[in-house]
Amino acid sequence: MTITVALPSKGRMKADTLEAFKSAGMTVEAVGNDRSYHGRVLEHDDIEIAFMSASEIAKELTKGSIDFGVTGEDLVRETIANVDSHVEFHARLGFGNADVIVAVPEFWHDVTTMSDLADVAMGFRARHGRQLSIATKYWQLTQQFFSSRHGIQLYRIVESLGATEGAPAAGTADIIVDITTTGSTLKANHLRILSDGLILRSEACLVGAKASTHYGSDLYKKVATAFK
Amino acid sequence: MVSKDMKNILDRVEQDLKSCGVTMMDCDIIQPAEPFLKMAGEDLRRRIFLTQNVAGEALCLRPEFTIPVCMAHISAGEQAPQSYGYIGQVFRQRDVGMTEFYQAGIENLGDPEIAQADARMISNAAMLVNNSSQADDVQIILGDQAVFADVLSALGLPTGWQDRLIHAFGDEQALATMLKTLSAPEAQSYSDETIKELVEADDHEGLSEHLSDVMAKTGYSTKASRSPDDIARRMLEKQRLSNTKLGEQDLTKLKTFLDIKVPLNAAIDTLTKFAESSEIDLSHSLETFAARISALEQMGFDMSSTYYETAFGRPLDYYTGLVFEIRSAQSGQVQAAGGRYDRLMALLGAATSIPAVGFSLWLDRFEVKS
Repeated sequence: MTITVALPSKGRMKADTLEAFKSAGMTVEAVGNDRSYHGRVLEHDDIEIAFMSASEIAKELTKGSIDFGVTGEDLVRETIANVDSHVEFHARLGFGNADVIVAVPEFWHDVTTMSDLADVAMGFRARHGRQLSIATKYWQLTQQFFSSRHGIQLYRIVESLGATEGAPAAGTADIIVDITTTGSTLKANHLRILSDGLILRSEACLVGAKASTHYGSDLYKKVATAFK
Repeated sequence: MVSKDMKNILDRVEQDLKSCGVTMMDCDIIQPAEPFLKMAGEDLRRRIFLTQNVAGEALCLRPEFTIPVCMAHISAGEQAPQSYGYIGQVFRQRDVGMTEFYQAGIENLGDPEIAQADARMISNAAMLVNNSSQADDVQIILGDQAVFADVLSALGLPTGWQDRLIHAFGDEQALATMLKTLSAPEAQSYSDETIKELVEADDHEGLSEHLSDVMAKTGYSTKASRSPDDIARRMLEKQRLSNTKLGEQDLTKLKTFLDIKVPLNAAIDTLTKFAESSEIDLSHSLETFAARISALEQMGFDMSSTYYETAFGRPLDYYTGLVFEIRSAQSGQVQAAGGRYDRLMALLGAATSIPAVGFSLWLDRFEVKS
């Protein structure tokens, strides 16, 4: 019997993950060549490794086609509806840090908090003939934060799949919801984070699928507790 | 499958709607999604059933009838007042209950006799509920945003605050937060010296010019986003508001007002007394209020289970005056909900201002004996 752990397939996220696994006593080795999407753990022959893109990992966790995955909390919370009934967060791995935030143009000096934004959103239609628009790839997180947490209903999401931070200057959206690590991209684009505009403090996590056939078994627990 | 009970309810309601002298209106089940999203905002997107046509335009299963009925009225270029009736399925994901359910209702569009039209909608809705709903006892709760707006203006609050409070009207929590801020406003501070000076000097033009320069320098198109003028206006408004504190006395008056819950036939008396003791003038909104009540009386409407709640409203920006709900007295479940939304028609693209009042019946709740 084996258990499948999906890990990020490329970049810094992959390197950091492999290192974290090694420190936890799981040395991951690609099967075949270095570019292979299949791997194994030297110390445990009952753990299989599948390399996938970070967003794919979040999707596969809901289906239970993988037992564990390492990916950003932001992607998990964005991709999976009713997240707590589908997955369990077992460990925060200390890398891949990114904050999901609400940012407005720097010169909106009158908007420093979400309640300012609610105020602006309310008068927006009367003044501009359309609703306040938000560029983001985080539909779910934005809707939860704006609608449920802050009671702001009158806004539109403009889907943005790249260079979100450029949308306000280009005039394609008024404000953004995006991830930031150092804040330097925001600064370069003359955007400012609202004082209460932190939606999620995300980092790479070891996430378990509740739909896994191994959920709760000894083998499952071995992986789940490896980072304790 | 339509249950036998529901079939009976549908037949009866349709017959009763026709007896109200309405034109029955049929709306397509598949509707363009844009108008609904534009009016109700992004939160509705999660609740409606969205799809696309081959050209990629967003379509949805009709989540309600008011917007399609209003749009049909506008595109027909109808000048004369019209009363439309509708009955059929709507599709919406709710916290409780089925996602496809029946609604019926009336939209009264273009009638300049405000009080008359208001009263007719209340009485029509009550008749329809009484004839077809299984709920034993019903209560009618009525609110009026115009009275609240009149109280705010009589208290002499700055318009910025009036707008905010009106927007929060009907949302108990939001209103409470606003009132708290109003009794202890926060100070504004700007680290940029130029801005600080301009704000302190209350120099709208200077501030606007400065912001315009900043926008040009940072590569923002002045057409993009909010204009420098709009930002300057709100900065100065915030500055003024931070210097406005609602006095203890006025706050008490506002709270006293928002606590009023009386039978409708005692409403005028109560409001008049409140106006006298608070030394404010409510004559303008009270006139409409009284006219509505006398219109109800003339229709022979039984007001014994109708109540007026000052704090009852809907936090949507196109509602303007009357709102009402008919609830089952036991379960509190809403059987009918309606109100006046004079701003909706213009938002939907009507060239002239068209008064609008109407209600919908939650027919899926008619079946349940409470």
